[in-house]
Amino acid sequence: MSDTTKKLKILICDDSALVRKQLSNILSDIGDFEISFAENGNAAVTKYAEILPDLSFMDIVMPEKSGIDALKDIISLNPSAKVVMASSIGTQGNLKTAIECGAFDFIQKPVDKSAVEKIINKIM
Amino acid sequence: MFTQFFGNYLLNSGLVSPEKLSDALGRLSETKLRLGVLAINAGIMTAEQVDKVHAEQQKVDKRIGELMVDMGYATEEQIEKLLKTQPSAHLLLGQTLVNDGVMTNSQFENALNSYKKEMGISDADLEDSDLGDFRPLVDKFYNFDNADNKSYLTGYIVLLFKNLVRFIGTDFAPLSAKALLDNISRSCMGQEIHGGVKALTLIDADDDSLIEFASRFSGEHLTANDDFTRDCINEFLNLHNGLFAVNLSNETGLEIELSPQIVYNDINLDTIKNSHVIPVCFSFGTINFIISI
Repeated sequence: MSDTTKKLKILICDDSALVRKQLSNILSDIGDFEISFAENGNAAVTKYAEILPDLSFMDIVMPEKSGIDALKDIISLNPSAKVVMASSIGTQGNLKTAIECGAFDFIQKPVDKSAVEKIINKIM
Repeated sequence: MFTQFFGNYLLNSGLVSPEKLSDALGRLSETKLRLGVLAINAGIMTAEQVDKVHAEQQKVDKRIGELMVDMGYATEEQIEKLLKTQPSAHLLLGQTLVNDGVMTNSQFENALNSYKKEMGISDADLEDSDLGDFRPLVDKFYNFDNADNKSYLTGYIVLLFKNLVRFIGTDFAPLSAKALLDNISRSCMGQEIHGGVKALTLIDADDDSLIEFASRFSGEHLTANDDFTRDCINEFLNLHNGLFAVNLSNETGLEIELSPQIVYNDINLDTIKNSHVIPVCFSFGTINFIISI
């Protein structure tokens, strides 16, 4: 991205510090983004409302509030929110639920760079 | 995976100590396979014949393959074929232990043949086991015939070993499963599965082993059993359980859910029903997977 382009705001929601770090590193390799973090579903909704990111990556299994419940709350705040579920538990049921709840896409963990690049290319 | 189970067989046969086995498993990539071990594995020569060829090589300036042909133990075609053989990990393990002086060629030959016979493994099965279809090995090794949910338990463990190879390394041997007889005083990371299948898995190990396990999984150089290290262990567990859920969903249509991982303190038998302790001996230490399913 050129310096004159507005940086995309990306929110990473995952209770794992390792995943937050790995996903952040992948994004930094791909481009220059403004990256924020949330450690659970509740924090994800609060942070979303605060920064209104262009794109969010959301884990499913998280304490306090699951990623699916956080997705529902975010979509009720902004029906056109782009939330990508990034989870190890990509079962048929979870995929269906995520799509029905308004998820933009689904990435199966472990997250690799090519999957993230595809998502970024879709929204740019 | 044949290598990992064969390593356990060598351990249980008293041919190798846990320390020597772990050390050898950690150095397989440095080992070069010798023609003698390949010939024994292929059933072309006995260990005694290989020893005779090695003894002869001390006296004459000839390559080992030439001597094998000259002494009438193998044909040129057989030697050519052996030289093109891709080194299997279990052979590298045998060669490493022979090089280290832990076993002789003859002990390796006997152990390999006995293990194949006991397990009913043909050479073709053996190739399949190294390539991925090792459920029969797990079945025979753990013998969960009386366990509840035997099929889920075996499937769960097969996937666990695949994930250990994929995310941690191949330098391990599974140890025999044991019932959880004592309470565990150390804190363990654990995760529950609920829905179509109910399960609980805990990971227990000493600090140094946990740190190395987490370092390998994360690709980070970790030095303490701190929050980040425990987070890495938890993420391995989450990834493994998630992949188990995906497989189960695809194969049976059953949907399961995962609870967030938590730290379990002072584990006791009353809280874990039908538990099996699956110890896995890595070159850096032993990791206990406590599985209730």
